[in-house]
Amino acid sequence: MKDFFRRNGFWLLVIAFLLSVLIGISSALMGGNADPLSDLVSAVTAPVRNGVSAVADWAGGVSRYVFHYGEMEQELQDLEKKVAELEGELREGQEAIQENARLRELLGLRSKRRDLTFESAKVTARSADNWRSTLTLSKGEEAGLQPGNCVITSTGVLVGVVSKVGSHTATVSTVIDTSMEMGGIITRTNSAGVLEGDFALMKEGRLKLSYLPDGAQLVAGDEVLTSGKGDVYPSGLVVGQVEGVFSDASGMNRYAVVAPEVELDTLVEVFVVKDFDIVE
Amino acid sequence: MTTRDQIHKWFFYALGLFLVWVLDAQILNRLPVLGTIPMLLPLAVVSVAVLEGAYAGAGFGLAVGLLWELAYPGGFGGLVFGMALAGMITGAVSQYALSQSFLSCLLCSAGVLGVLDGLRILRILFLQAETLDVLLRIAVPEIALSLCWTPVVYWIFRRIYRRVGGAKLA
Repeated sequence: MKDFFRRNGFWLLVIAFLLSVLIGISSALMGGNADPLSDLVSAVTAPVRNGVSAVADWAGGVSRYVFHYGEMEQELQDLEKKVAELEGELREGQEAIQENARLRELLGLRSKRRDLTFESAKVTARSADNWRSTLTLSKGEEAGLQPGNCVITSTGVLVGVVSKVGSHTATVSTVIDTSMEMGGIITRTNSAGVLEGDFALMKEGRLKLSYLPDGAQLVAGDEVLTSGKGDVYPSGLVVGQVEGVFSDASGMNRYAVVAPEVELDTLVEVFVVKDFDIVE
Repeated sequence: MTTRDQIHKWFFYALGLFLVWVLDAQILNRLPVLGTIPMLLPLAVVSVAVLEGAYAGAGFGLAVGLLWELAYPGGFGGLVFGMALAGMITGAVSQYALSQSFLSCLLCSAGVLGVLDGLRILRILFLQAETLDVLLRIAVPEIALSLCWTPVVYWIFRRIYRRVGGAKLA
């Protein structure tokens, strides 16, 4: 043992190289599923992650209560007003829904349907480098989560997409991550584009809506939803609002910078859309 | 040093690594400075390599690389070999060209962080359509902020070295 490292220095490098190759091959072969070693490390480190996360969430709550009490009270009053307005709109909406159902029946159209199957999960860790934006969730394969599942908040705002699943944990690439690529649509103009993460915007917590149609007239504040094109992801999930429209370096294509609706830093609980059946 | 002493010493280095991991992956990533979070694991490898020498640095680098690949998302295997090599090279450089000091640790840390982010930038430039200036705007603050944490990480391992280290292995 005394001279273990000195005697085996070269072999340590050989072992390191072989381990690198093994991990590289297994992660390539497993695709979106965690390899058994990563799964084991996730299971071993889960108590630490959960503990630190619980303490951080508690401290965040206390700090908000102590230092932002006035803002919270104002927010509550604003929300009460908004609830009253929405209740009025809901009553009007009920009549419109009934009328819509009657008209669809007259025209022989299929009735609109929106069935989503959810699984709730806690956020136990956040990305630890500047090149990715990820979250680690407390549930995995055993709860039916799969790579490609959409993750949303309790209010239906898109958080991201499950990129890797272990038996008891899942990694989510958030909406601002550079691996994000999903169809998006502007509700006001019905213009479709592609939502994608960008290294320059990720640091500012923003993403792009690229490949905009030539005639699309977007303004700041336009709401962006998922388009659901290709039936890979559900449609109608709230992504965020347009902040501005720009041209790329070639000047040929326009893109919009989108500020996501989700507050990634304060997320505690999310919902994974395991399955969906949407008829528009 | 007896086998028991060695086990004792590496147990404490593992505890130090655990502390750095908690700081890196669980605490500092919640407190970004101007949108940037530091990278502490390479600093841990360099600190131990400077204190314990090339071969022990390679062994510790291998362990850190494994932790990095398995406990952090997005691994592709290269970090295990990369960290072991970084441990061996920085250990040798500090032993034969520099000295066993904080300044050597800082210089070697800057080198390792620069190479790591340089390789990462090359990989992204090769695989994704991204411009160099955008990637440098991420890498440079990351390296600068990480280097600010070198005194803390070096202090943790220096204390362990003073308590249970001492006899050079290489």
